[in-house]
Amino acid sequence: MDPLPPPPPPARHRWAARGTLFRPREPAFALFAAILLVTGFLAVEQQEVFRELSPSGWALSWVLLALYVLPVVLLVLALDLYEREPVSLMVGAFLWGAVAATTLAAFANEGWGLVVARLGGPEFASRWTAVLTAPLAEEVLKASGIVLLALIAPEEFDDVLDGFVYGALCGLGFAVVEDVFYFVSVFGGTPTGVLAGFWVRVISSGLYGHVLYTGLSGMGIAYFVSRKDEEPLGRRIAVATGLFVAGVAGHVLWNSPLLDAFPAQVRDVWDLLRIPLAAALKGLPLLAFVIVLVRLAHRRERHWLALALRSEAGSEGLTVTELEILLDPVARRRSRRDMRRRAGARAARLLRRLQREQVNLAMARTRAAGPDDPVLVVKRAYCRSLRDALAAIPGAAPAARGPSDVAPG
Amino acid sequence: MPTPGRPRSGPALLPTLGLAVTIAIVVFGGYAVGGALSRSAGPPVQVAEGVTIRPLSGWEPAGRFEEPVGVRLTRGAGNLDVVAIPFSGTPQALVDGYVREILEPGAERLSVSRRVEAVRTASGLPGARIAYVGLFGRALTPIEGEITAIVAPSGVAVVSDGWGPEGVLRYIRGDVRAMTEAVELG
Repeated sequence: MDPLPPPPPPARHRWAARGTLFRPREPAFALFAAILLVTGFLAVEQQEVFRELSPSGWALSWVLLALYVLPVVLLVLALDLYEREPVSLMVGAFLWGAVAATTLAAFANEGWGLVVARLGGPEFASRWTAVLTAPLAEEVLKASGIVLLALIAPEEFDDVLDGFVYGALCGLGFAVVEDVFYFVSVFGGTPTGVLAGFWVRVISSGLYGHVLYTGLSGMGIAYFVSRKDEEPLGRRIAVATGLFVAGVAGHVLWNSPLLDAFPAQVRDVWDLLRIPLAAALKGLPLLAFVIVLVRLAHRRERHWLALALRSEAGSEGLTVTELEILLDPVARRRSRRDMRRRAGARAARLLRRLQREQVNLAMARTRAAGPDDPVLVVKRAYCRSLRDALAAIPGAAPAARGPSDVAPG
Repeated sequence: MPTPGRPRSGPALLPTLGLAVTIAIVVFGGYAVGGALSRSAGPPVQVAEGVTIRPLSGWEPAGRFEEPVGVRLTRGAGNLDVVAIPFSGTPQALVDGYVREILEPGAERLSVSRRVEAVRTASGLPGARIAYVGLFGRALTPIEGEITAIVAPSGVAVVSDGWGPEGVLRYIRGDVRAMTEAVELG
């Protein structure tokens, strides 16, 4: 049995019009695309220089960093429990960090470094520019990309976690390109140097850094955008500014000589092991802060989902058991694993679709005029058709519908 | 909420413009402020007969050379050696000669950039520029430097060598280039 085709998008509900990066008539899109295009040429040129300097080291850098990017992306996406962001926006955030922000930051750091050198002398500048100018300049430039995304597709900034996803991906893009620069220019570019750089900057420090800084900025931007109807302007500005400043402060601490326990030279294995410990000393406080914020955001999302779906439980779109599973991310994953084991991959995919549509049902419910809103009726019917299709797959039925769990026919 | 593709109204344009201005200030503001702070200070310093250089603010004469004739300007850990010599070849040949005869004899280790950058002074004279890093004498840290050779049709040439301990060059490079490209060859 095949499920019904997806319901047509109702124009008045913002969740239904899936957000996209490609809105050519938006001024923010024009700015985003223009900056990405111009900086793209410069970034490719820069990579050409690195490739010429050390072909093997450059290639090894990208291979190693690809191994780093994949799990971080999966982790970030896993944190976004209830709603997957549009791929174009996530890719846009990553590219902004990797291409636009890194290229612009190179100019900004040099320019403001000159100011520090004029005021404090070249020696002072060589020691303190990384603390005084780089954190603010880099965080502003990365956050600008997230603000542009919020201007292009504000409907995709539903809650602070959405901002965290875009910010973290932007920071990840920045970190990757910056790491290539460090591996080739600072760690020598030889395969041994690249491996040393990978140990210092990724294995030891990869949990901290740009992903967290820009994740925080993204949360602030999303707070500002998504709480328009709930919070006064002053509070939204204060929270967004506070989170941005927290990211900058984390960056300043990382670049500063404070709490610096890194060995000056690596002479033996103990020195090698000191590097991750030193990185943890500087990075763990911010990581802990971000974890707390993400957990609070999760709690809020779960509460919101429960509230939205309370009146839907028992309808044809959502059974009581399904609601319990939906509200618990661990149970959701377990249910799909069980389904895969019992009825195969196709059934697990179908269950995932059903759960995603039920989250969409929650969004529709919060914006519907009443329980008989035509949008809700269509959504419920679609969920039911998915459930029926699932039940028709041999072995899938028990998980799709529990014994105490009868949806009205 | 506007539907996708619909143009934004005036007020929605303002945040984008504000953001563009913010990005421009962050990216280019440092150069503007740095440029404003970096003014010529003091009288021109004579390098050799008919060759003068104008130190930017913060730079001071720190010594003179006899062979070849030249002057050293300094600003903290940053230095600029400027020498004047009679020469009628190409700027690149002059750079090569400077590396061979001035840098290499005093270097324990020396790496010179393969890429030679063509430059032109404010008065239109052609020049060539390279970068280097090396260990010199009893210095414990590597020295980074940038050499620019400028040749005038009159047969007078100038070589500027801006240098400092590793990490410092990037913060004096702007000044070094500005002073070198404004050097007056009589």
